[in-house]
Amino acid sequence: MTTTDKPKVGIYGFTGCAGDQLLIIHTEDEILNLFGATNIQSFVMASSNPIEGDLDVAFIEGSVSTEEEKEHLQEIRKRSKILVAIGNCAVNGGPQAMYTDDGGYEKRLYKVYGEGVKFVSKPLEAKPIDTYVEVDYYLPGCPISQPQTFALISRLIHGTIPEPYPHPVCHECKLNENHCLLLDEKFCIGPITLGGCGSACPNHGLPCVGCWGPNEDGNFAQHLKLLESFGLTKEEIIRRIRGFGGSKIIKFIENGGK
Amino acid sequence: MANKRSITIEPLARVEGHGGIKVEIKDNKVDNVEVRILEGPRLFEELVLGKTPQEDLSIVPRICAICNLSHKYAALRGLEKAVGVKVDSTTHLYRELMHHGEMIESHSLHIYFLALPDFLGYDNAVAMADKYGDTVAKALQLKKFGNKIMRMMGGRMIHGENPVIGGFSRLPSKENLTKVKEEAIELLDFALATIDLLGNLEVPDHMERDTQFLCCKPPSEEYGYHGDILMTSDGEEHPVENYKNVIKERVVSHSFAKRSQYNEKPFTVGALARVLLLGERLKGKAKQSYDKLITDRWYRNPLFNNHAQAIEQVYSLEGIIDTVNQLLISEDARIAQPTQKTGVGTGAVEAPRGTLIHHYEVKEGVIVAADFITPTAMFLDDIEAFIRTGGDHLLAMNQLDNIELQFEMIARAYDPCISCSAHLVEVVYK
Repeated sequence: MTTTDKPKVGIYGFTGCAGDQLLIIHTEDEILNLFGATNIQSFVMASSNPIEGDLDVAFIEGSVSTEEEKEHLQEIRKRSKILVAIGNCAVNGGPQAMYTDDGGYEKRLYKVYGEGVKFVSKPLEAKPIDTYVEVDYYLPGCPISQPQTFALISRLIHGTIPEPYPHPVCHECKLNENHCLLLDEKFCIGPITLGGCGSACPNHGLPCVGCWGPNEDGNFAQHLKLLESFGLTKEEIIRRIRGFGGSKIIKFIENGGK
Repeated sequence: MANKRSITIEPLARVEGHGGIKVEIKDNKVDNVEVRILEGPRLFEELVLGKTPQEDLSIVPRICAICNLSHKYAALRGLEKAVGVKVDSTTHLYRELMHHGEMIESHSLHIYFLALPDFLGYDNAVAMADKYGDTVAKALQLKKFGNKIMRMMGGRMIHGENPVIGGFSRLPSKENLTKVKEEAIELLDFALATIDLLGNLEVPDHMERDTQFLCCKPPSEEYGYHGDILMTSDGEEHPVENYKNVIKERVVSHSFAKRSQYNEKPFTVGALARVLLLGERLKGKAKQSYDKLITDRWYRNPLFNNHAQAIEQVYSLEGIIDTVNQLLISEDARIAQPTQKTGVGTGAVEAPRGTLIHHYEVKEGVIVAADFITPTAMFLDDIEAFIRTGGDHLLAMNQLDNIELQFEMIARAYDPCISCSAHLVEVVYK
C-alpha cells in the first residue's frame, strides 16, 4: 500500500490532560504499526509539520472550552468523513464539566482569573464535543483503553463498522471475580459507569469513581437508592457522582437512564 | 526586510497540550515574545472545593496525564500534612519507586520522541526509525518500562487510583519487584549509551544568558525528587509553606497569567535545575554521567535540560535497583490513618519538568481552599527570555533559516506541559 491510498487520519487535542493522545503514543508495541498502516496527517503531540486537509478519520480528545476550540472542531468536522470522540473529556466533558450548566461558571472563572479581563479566545463552559458537532463514534475512557482503541482504529481503517461495548464496569469486575465493594457499603459507581477499563480500581480493592462516564443502560434510580441506604444524603451522592460524568450523568439521572 | 514583522509558530508541536509562540520583530530586534497557552481553562482549584481528600486525589491527577503521579504525590504530601497522616518508611520507599517510574516514562518520552527529532532533523521519532532503528526500539522499551512501574504502583498506566491517603491500596509482589529490578539493570546500558549520544550532539548557543534555578531540597544528603524546602541558585533555602513569597506570581500586559518569578526575575525548574543544584550529590553511574557531560554552558543554555534528563534516567534506573533492594528486606507497609479533620498542608515534589506545589486547607474533612503551582507556570517567563536573547542574536547574525525551529527547540527543551499550565490563559487588557 502506498502512502496515498492509506486512510488519512488526524488526531487532535482540545482541553484536557492529553492522556488519550499519550496513551496512543504509549502503545509501544503498536505505535510503529499505526504510523505504518495509516497516513497520519496531523498528530501535533507526536509530530511537527501537520497537513490540514480532508481526512478519512478524525480523533478528537478533550472538551470544548474556548470559542477558538469550538470553531476549530467545526472546521475539522467539515473535512472529516468520520469523527470519533476519544476520552471522557470529549465524550462527557470530563472533570472540568462536573458543574456545567449549574449557573456558576462565570463566578468560578472570575474567581480564578480576576475581574475585568478580556481573553484572547472567549472561554466557554466545558462541554463534550457532541454539543457542537455530530459525532460518529464514542471511545470513552480516562484514559481510553489500548485494546479498545486499536480495535476501533483497525475497524475504521479497514472500512468496517466498530462494535458497540455497552457493558458497565460491574460486568468486568464480576469477570475478574473481585469481591463486590457495594456489599461493604463502599461508594462504588461501577454499575452505572461504562466498562472497558477492565475494572482497574476494584481490582485494587478500590471503588469505581466513574471516570469513564455514565453507562446509558444503567439503572440510575435504583443505584442512587442503594447509595442512599448507606446513609449518604442525595446531595453528597450527586456531588460525587458528577465528578467525571459532567452534566450528561445528571441528565441520565433525571431521565432515569437514556 | 520589512521594518516590523511577526513570526507565529502555531501549533507548537511535540509538546503536551495546545500552545504556540508569537515573536514580534521591530528594527531587526525582538520586540515582543509571547508563549501562548491556547488550552481552555479548567478551574481545578475551584472544582476540588467541598471534596474530601480522597476525592481530590482522583481528580487532580487529571490536570496532566504525563505527570499524573507527580500530581497525585504532591497532593498526597499536602493533604497528609493537612489531616495529620504520617506514612511508614516502607510506604515512602514505594512512593519513591512510583516516582522513579514516572521520571523514566516522562524523560524517555521527552528525550527520544519530543526533543531528539529536532537535533537529528526529523518531524517525529517514528521517521527516525529507518536510520536510528535500534535507538527508537530501545527508547520504546525504556518508556514501556517506566509505564510498567507506573501501572504497578498507580494501578493503571495513566490515572490509576492505587495510591491513597496514607499509603497504597495494593502492593506489588516480591516476584514483580525482582523482575522490575532485573529489567532496570538490563536497561542501564541503553541509558548510558544515551549519555554518549547526547554528548555528541551539537548544541546551539545563540540563546545563552544567565538565569536562576529552583528545586526541592531532598531531606537526606542524597539526590532526590521531593522535599519540604525550596532551594535556589543564590544559595537561599525557603520552607515550602512560604512558597507564595518565593515564587511570585504576576500579571503582564500581553498575558494575564500566573506567570512566576523569583527575585523579580525568571527562573528555570526541571531536570536542569536539579542537576545544577544537586548534581554533586549523585553517585554511581549517574555521577559518572554527570562528570562526563556537565560544562559551564549548562548554566546559560536550556537545551541542556535534555542532557540533564538523560542523567536522571541513569539516576532513576539506579534508584529503582536500590529502592527494590531495600523493599525486599523491608517490613510490610500499612495504610496510615488521618489524625485530624482540619488543617493546612503544602506538598511539593519534583515533577519530571520541575517543581510542583499543591496547597490545601481542609476543614471538617472537606477541602475549603486549594492552590496549585505547576512547573510550566514557573518557567514560561524563562522560555520567553531565552527566545528573546536567541532571536536578537540570530537577527544580528542574519541567520534566519529555520529561526522558527530554533525558537521551538528552546520551548521544547523545557518539556512544557500545557495542560498543567492551562489556567494561564492569555488575555489582553481592554
